[in-house]
Amino acid sequence: MRRKLMTAVLSLGVIASMCAGCSSSAPKEAATTAATTAPAAETTAAPAAETTAAAAGETYKVYLITMDQMDQHWVTVDSGAQKAVKELGNVDYKWLAPDVKDDAKQIECINNAIAGGAQAILLAANGPDAVTESLKEAVAAGVKIVYVDSAASYPAIQTLATDNKAAGKTAGEEMITALKAAGIEEGKIGIVNVNAATASTVAREEGFRSAFEGTGFTLLETQYGEGDAAKSKDIAANYITQGVVGIFGANEGSTVGAGNAIQEAGETVIGVGFDKSDMIMQLINDGYLLATMAQNPDVMGYEGMKTAVNALSGQDTGAENVDTGVSVISKQ
Amino acid sequence: MNKKQNGWKRILAIRGMGQVITVGIGLVVMCIVFGIINPTFFSSKNVANLLRQIAPILLIGIGQSYVLITGNIDLSIGSVVGMSCMISATLMTKGMNPWVAVVITLICCLIVGVVNGGLVAKCKLPPFIATLGTMTIARGIAQIVNNNYNTDAIGDKAKVFRDFFYYGKVAGIYNTVLIAMVLWLVFNFLLSKTRTGRHIYAIGSNIEASKLSGVNIILTTTKAYLVSAFCACVVGLVICATSGMGTMDAGNSYEMYAVAASVIGGVSTLGGQGILIGTVIGASIWGVLQNGLQFAGAPVAIRNIVIGVIVVVSVLIDVIVRSGRFSKKSH
Repeated sequence: MRRKLMTAVLSLGVIASMCAGCSSSAPKEAATTAATTAPAAETTAAPAAETTAAAAGETYKVYLITMDQMDQHWVTVDSGAQKAVKELGNVDYKWLAPDVKDDAKQIECINNAIAGGAQAILLAANGPDAVTESLKEAVAAGVKIVYVDSAASYPAIQTLATDNKAAGKTAGEEMITALKAAGIEEGKIGIVNVNAATASTVAREEGFRSAFEGTGFTLLETQYGEGDAAKSKDIAANYITQGVVGIFGANEGSTVGAGNAIQEAGETVIGVGFDKSDMIMQLINDGYLLATMAQNPDVMGYEGMKTAVNALSGQDTGAENVDTGVSVISKQ
Repeated sequence: MNKKQNGWKRILAIRGMGQVITVGIGLVVMCIVFGIINPTFFSSKNVANLLRQIAPILLIGIGQSYVLITGNIDLSIGSVVGMSCMISATLMTKGMNPWVAVVITLICCLIVGVVNGGLVAKCKLPPFIATLGTMTIARGIAQIVNNNYNTDAIGDKAKVFRDFFYYGKVAGIYNTVLIAMVLWLVFNFLLSKTRTGRHIYAIGSNIEASKLSGVNIILTTTKAYLVSAFCACVVGLVICATSGMGTMDAGNSYEMYAVAASVIGGVSTLGGQGILIGTVIGASIWGVLQNGLQFAGAPVAIRNIVIGVIVVVSVLIDVIVRSGRFSKKSH
């Protein structure tokens, strides 16, 4: 019975994370529960998971380490993880993060987590390489690593992330469609990015640029606003003075900056951005931004936590890479 | 005696004016070069934008100049900017009248100034350490006021606020620029024409001598830190108005921009020397580089290198001027 329950939980988790090609192998009991739709599956997973926990009778210490604590994005990852913790009932959970995005400070967080007796770490790596040495130590100490949002170049149990390049390309395609609908086939496009070291936003830009290959548009030199909405606004205003037809913002601050600049200039520049916040939604609904690519950070935290616990309890953890996807949000 | 000299000589006689003129010429050359590379640089639209981009740097530069002239440094500026941005935005999202929010924000920021002054002058902590502490504390406050979230949009009710600090114009000039100009005039007057100003120079030149001549060191130092906190607060409000929301990392590393603007303009980090017109030139060089290099299509790395070189070279000029052939001019 216990084994069957475990299988049921596993298959539910896998369905919830929308992984293909596994539910067919699930035994009958699992299949009946799993016959419900995916969102419902998440809620039904709760009691089953608690039973598993009670049966296993073990508490796991899991840390979430993000790039900083400021971005709403990380707060949402945290709340996703907390949701899973509540459902699982056997996790001692802590969220650690540097005050600002900084490789060295993140390494300290990892070391602190190891010292604090972490059995698993959900990590949003600041950069691909800087943290690998401390991750090696962590793994040597028996800590399971699951990447959420951004992976480092060191093998882990699973990576749950937005495929940023694909998402950036989607953003580019949205912009091209809108420009063509407005009868614009050529012109300059400005890009407001965070900095050259943040892998996720660099990948978004790469994807965005790839969408414009073979079109008549010219992509200007990328400018970096450090994710600061005020700096990004200055950059976007300079772009508008240069006569751009479109501006791309690679994260929340960049997108707010672009939207504010377009609003002020009162010109029909197409703005497309990333992330979802109250201010961005307002700019979209007022018509100053065309669309924003919203990630699903709650899914990262929720599924990441489940993967970590599955790994600790010796269960199957599913695919190595899970794309948590983006939703294109435009004016309702 | 001044009456005998003509105007030009009188200007040159002002201590530190030599470097200001040198750097000013550099600024003009820089503008011409950017204008040649991309004529849009001189378009009326860009000039208006550029002035508004310089204004916040000038404001924090004024604050840092005051503190540097007393022979201290204020590292808390950037965090006070963030604190001001977050406190004002949080209060406004809770439905508070924008002007009441501004007053409360101002009080909070000025407290940081008082604490800085007290720690440095009364408790005799090294200014670098004391303001490093308040820098971290102020950033923490910026994060805690809205429970570690950036705020929501400050909304339509705050439109007056956003227009007053950033989007509005009077006589074709953006309000931000006007605010910076008015504050510059006030603080320049305070520094160059009043007793407080003379005391600020005095304690920066020779703290022991000033103490013996009856200057209140604690009060004067605190005044300088208050000016710095006030300017940082205004910049925080400008940033809040710009973005229409509060961001916890607003003003990150602005304290260093402020040092750069001051130092490029001839304010000595050793204290006792510098004039605020120099800070205008310093802030302008900073702003022109940010803006002009974008129009020139230069990669960001180039910009960082250029700014670094200019900071070093302008301090080098200061050192050479002080130790070398112009030494007879110094008092």
